[in-house]
Amino acid sequence: MTSADANTEETGETDQQVLAQRSAAIIAGIEAIDPDHVLHLASSTLKIVLSHFIDGPGARPGRRVFAMPREEEGVAIAAGLELAGARPVLIFQDNGVGNLLTALLTLSQAYHLPLLAVVSRRGGLGEYNSMIHTISERAEALLDAAGVRWFQLDARTPVGRWAAEIERAWAFARATHRPVFVLVNLMGS
Amino acid sequence: MADLDRADVLRLIDAAAPDSAMVLGLGGIAREMLAVAGRKGNHFISLDAMGQTVSVALGIALGLEHRAAPGKVIAIESDGSLLMGLSVLSTVGHLKPDNLVVYVLDNGVYLATGAQPTASADIDLVTVATACSWRGAREVRTADELAAATAWALTTEGPVLVRVRTTTTQLPADYFLEDPAILAEDFRRWLRAQSPQKES
Repeated sequence: MTSADANTEETGETDQQVLAQRSAAIIAGIEAIDPDHVLHLASSTLKIVLSHFIDGPGARPGRRVFAMPREEEGVAIAAGLELAGARPVLIFQDNGVGNLLTALLTLSQAYHLPLLAVVSRRGGLGEYNSMIHTISERAEALLDAAGVRWFQLDARTPVGRWAAEIERAWAFARATHRPVFVLVNLMGS
Repeated sequence: MADLDRADVLRLIDAAAPDSAMVLGLGGIAREMLAVAGRKGNHFISLDAMGQTVSVALGIALGLEHRAAPGKVIAIESDGSLLMGLSVLSTVGHLKPDNLVVYVLDNGVYLATGAQPTASADIDLVTVATACSWRGAREVRTADELAAATAWALTTEGPVLVRVRTTTTQLPADYFLEDPAILAEDFRRWLRAQSPQKES
């Protein structure tokens, strides 16, 4: 039985439908924050979300959307944006968590600069890449070891709550003057 | 052959742009700027985050692009740190913030850790920057060239890069141990005082 079959059996929804619903919820959550800068990195699971901001309705005047070549560069650009009073959001995959830890801890965390990162989960059930789990399975442990606050959105949270939770994570990052990561599972689990 | 000491370069840049937002790279750049100019609200001091000086300045420049003040945003970076995050040259060239000026103080070594050589001797950073679509880039080796390049950089539409070849002479300077949260807030407070209202 495939994961798509499992989803259909349990909820009547296919993996593609789950992906579409959860992507829409993430978009709604980020749009509720109304970021003026959206920094992103390549992600197949985030394709719907990225398309919304790159060339869809989210690519609106007054908002700059651009790719960060590497996660740590995005963290540093976001730190500068925050210092200047802007509203940046970062979107990338959890296999990039290892790339950003030094910049995150010596810049955002140390300087008490809020940062919201929406981070897609990889490497779990439904994964098609044979090796990405080697880093993705350790994302929570890496963030915990680094003292980075994170929240997870997956099948345990009704998709109808996702947008509000992302918006709350933005507020929480600002209230506590630090980076907050929202780990989002778009692959059905 | 360079005849400029880093401290002299920092003194000149600070004097030429006393009211510009500046991001100071870690190590000797930050410590020597403190020694020659003192603690200033417009200086955002990086205590670590090697490789990210230009990225932080890019973020500030983007965030301030609609404000009339404080004008140029200046990053003062070293060759070793820039080479750690060289991809930012492509991001800057792509986004083209017209208010960004980057100085690369290039002494060819990781001076703070014992002068181990960097790769900069074989890298034409002016060509790299212009190939990445920066609006201009210059290399200078003397005080007169630096003064001319600074006048150009502060009046030219950015992003522009000035590579300054420097000696490995170090100014005796104490470690700087301020709480980074205070550094960030001091900088933000200075910035708010410059331009409290966005124009758009």
